[in-house]
Amino acid sequence: MTGFGDAVIDAGVGALAPTPAVSLRGIEKRFGAVRACDSVDLDLHRGRIHGILGENGAGKSTLMKMLIGLVLPDGGRIEIDGVERRIHEPTHAARLGIGMVHQHFSLVDALTVWENVSLGEAGQLDARSIRNRVGEIGEHFGLEIDPDARVGELTAGLRQRVEIIKCLRRDPSIVIFDEPTSVLTPEESQQLFRAFRDVVAAEGRAVVLVSHKLDEILEATDDITIMRQGSVALRTLTSETDAPSLAHAMVGRPVSLRAEGAALGLTGVVADSRPDTSEDAVDTAEPPVLIVDGAVATVGRGARVLDELSVSVRSGEILGIAGVEGNGQRALGDLLSSLLPLQRGSVVVDGHLVSTSRPGAMARAGIGVIPEDRHDSGVVLDMSVAENLVMIDPGVCASRGVIDRKRLHDNALRLIDEFDIQCSGPDAPLWSLSGGNQQRVVLARELDQGPRVLVASQPTRGLDVGAIEYMSERLRSAAQSGVAVVLISSELEEILDLADRIAVMYRGRVIGEMKRSEVDIERLGLLMGGAAA
Amino acid sequence: MTSRAARYIALYAASIATALIASVVLVQATGGDWQRVLSALVDGSILGPGRWGQTLGAAAPMLLVALGTIVSGRAGLVNIGQEGQLLMGTAFAVYFGFRIGGPGPFTLVVLLAFGAVGGAVWAMIAGGLRFWRGVPEVLTTLLLVTVATQAIAFGLKRQSLLLASEASRGNRNQVSSQLDPDSRLPVLRLFGNEIPSAVFIAVGLALVLGFLAARTVWGFRLTMVGRNTRAAQRFGISQSRYGMWAMAISGAFAGLAGAAMLAGGGFQFGNFRLVPGFSANIGWTGLLVALVAREKALAAIPVALVFGALRTGSGFVSSTGVEAQITEVIQGFLVLALLVPPAVVFLQDRRAARAVTKART
Repeated sequence: MTGFGDAVIDAGVGALAPTPAVSLRGIEKRFGAVRACDSVDLDLHRGRIHGILGENGAGKSTLMKMLIGLVLPDGGRIEIDGVERRIHEPTHAARLGIGMVHQHFSLVDALTVWENVSLGEAGQLDARSIRNRVGEIGEHFGLEIDPDARVGELTAGLRQRVEIIKCLRRDPSIVIFDEPTSVLTPEESQQLFRAFRDVVAAEGRAVVLVSHKLDEILEATDDITIMRQGSVALRTLTSETDAPSLAHAMVGRPVSLRAEGAALGLTGVVADSRPDTSEDAVDTAEPPVLIVDGAVATVGRGARVLDELSVSVRSGEILGIAGVEGNGQRALGDLLSSLLPLQRGSVVVDGHLVSTSRPGAMARAGIGVIPEDRHDSGVVLDMSVAENLVMIDPGVCASRGVIDRKRLHDNALRLIDEFDIQCSGPDAPLWSLSGGNQQRVVLARELDQGPRVLVASQPTRGLDVGAIEYMSERLRSAAQSGVAVVLISSELEEILDLADRIAVMYRGRVIGEMKRSEVDIERLGLLMGGAAA
Repeated sequence: MTSRAARYIALYAASIATALIASVVLVQATGGDWQRVLSALVDGSILGPGRWGQTLGAAAPMLLVALGTIVSGRAGLVNIGQEGQLLMGTAFAVYFGFRIGGPGPFTLVVLLAFGAVGGAVWAMIAGGLRFWRGVPEVLTTLLLVTVATQAIAFGLKRQSLLLASEASRGNRNQVSSQLDPDSRLPVLRLFGNEIPSAVFIAVGLALVLGFLAARTVWGFRLTMVGRNTRAAQRFGISQSRYGMWAMAISGAFAGLAGAAMLAGGGFQFGNFRLVPGFSANIGWTGLLVALVAREKALAAIPVALVFGALRTGSGFVSSTGVEAQITEVIQGFLVLALLVPPAVVFLQDRRAARAVTKART
């Protein structure tokens, strides 16, 4: 295909550079019965930022993993600078000049920045030259960092810098960023996108930005490829498209940006829309249902994960806990799951003091939790769906300590039906369910007990748009029925979409609060970065 | 029949066949005749006069030990010190049983009760270290076996502890007093076989434990602690409390097995006396039974029978000119053969599950 032949969907991309840096043709990959990539074509050009957008499970990560040799394609051609290659492993990809900054950090906390950067090197290390190189890269790309700082003491934003420097140190000509902004404040994200520009414009590298957020794709890229269910749904130039058409292509149906904007990562749209629930619904005269007061907790060698944290939530209210990941949100979730005893401070539910050291005390006091990592404390993978659904108190399906199988079974059938859990039946082991359905099991169990407080930590992470909508609906209706909801999320859009009141966590404490109706995105961003209000 | 069951049967058939072929090769290579070895094994364990009663008698303590191992395993604890807990249980039984005295059946009950207590105490040392100081129980239980062996050897040299009075031990060293005939476990005589009542105790306890584990809130919670400690804690189950209980019960079963071996009949372990080497590897074998039965109390019954048969059968093997130890190697092959299919199925399932998750991320 030459010239302008395929202008309809390729919208000029094909006419740009003579040889693309990367050219994928007809890439196929199946996992069992699942088609992760179905004859995918993709061209990456030097000097341009290419956004790859898609829902969870659309196949974008698999595609990128094939490019860096973590996954082998079943079929298709991979050409790097016009030469066909088979990329067997990451070191091979590195030799070809392909580098990837992964979504999850692979850093060693106890080591310093330069030591982390040199991990994976063979032979003798030259500390001084590595330190210098870290400095050089930092200066060159605007990613300054102290090479001798201990990684464990850095903020999430700075850790990501370390990851990026680790990748750039090998001077890759093709750089892939996988969901890079999930741990950054809005301002840090801006900085990162400026760095992309510099990297690309100044040096003719090809950059890929993988994301599920429309906003940042529109803002930071030149070309866009949208994937849906393993295939390319749309290829376009960023300058020739807009949010509604991208959203349509991504989900496969027309979407209301107002209603589903949060799930698609559109901060602007969400921030401008007025929340449906008014604060009048919350009776401010009533005492709060949940009061956490002056909570102090330490882990390991005395690092404070909660530092004089105080929050309160009223019946019918959704309190959004915003903040960059790693600022104590996990500890707050653990505290309310009876997994973290306090050194000082108190937790009060409905006027009663709740022990923070006795197992199960929080659950008994009426606190339901949808944990950040459901495999950690939300479910027991080796037990059945029916068993997982009664874990709060297996006694409800038992008489004199003997479990009544029929009651257990019936209870499960009822909840499977009510929450539309896809599984082979009540006796299916939980591990056989998909992530979204495991999440529904947790939701069903926690809501079914009629909680006074519902804590949802990152409840929509890893879910697709439909599932996100479902979860949001459930949280809203829980609040409407009088539950005090605590929504802990690092996705600002989600907080803006659901919360009546927003508290920002920074280094284990709440450093600022505002009502949803008086929200000020700029101030929120500053608070997330730790600027005192 | 589901494809899953068919897959299991095929895998078991293949792996057991492989183990048998390897055993045949081994016997032939060491100068034996596999047909004679096989018939000796069968004669010794089943066909010989009075032999299947012996097999049942050997299987009973193995089953008891395995049941205890299943309890600790369900709670996520790796107790591998049954051999020591069994010895300590026997020592407690001897010490208190002979001192408290009383009428025969009463002594028997005291004996069995203190056997359980002794095993529980020994296991709880490891449990305490695990939950108060974070010392891995897999190390402490194992090391406590050595301590138990030495402690019993020490006790058997002192009349104030375990050693029998001069009158009753004759010229022997390091033996305890002999249990009176009326404080021994009753023996059921059937078709010329002696079946010790320990068999019925063990099978009864297996049924009880199977029910408790599968059908009660207690079993539910125990499984929760074992499979996901943090989820269990969130729902009000303290790992240290359930863990200590599980260790105590686990040790109690081993100790009870020891006391039952002492009071036994049928297969003889020390002629109703505690002697050095009394435990006769029953603790280790019981551990293997639990391993093969994969934490299922009811499955442990047939597995214990197989291992009991190997034990009694191996006594006859030496008559064929092959060393009796060869049966231990064969036993090892069989254990592996029985463990491989579940592991293969697990790996296949996990790979399939991973492929699905991978495709989704």
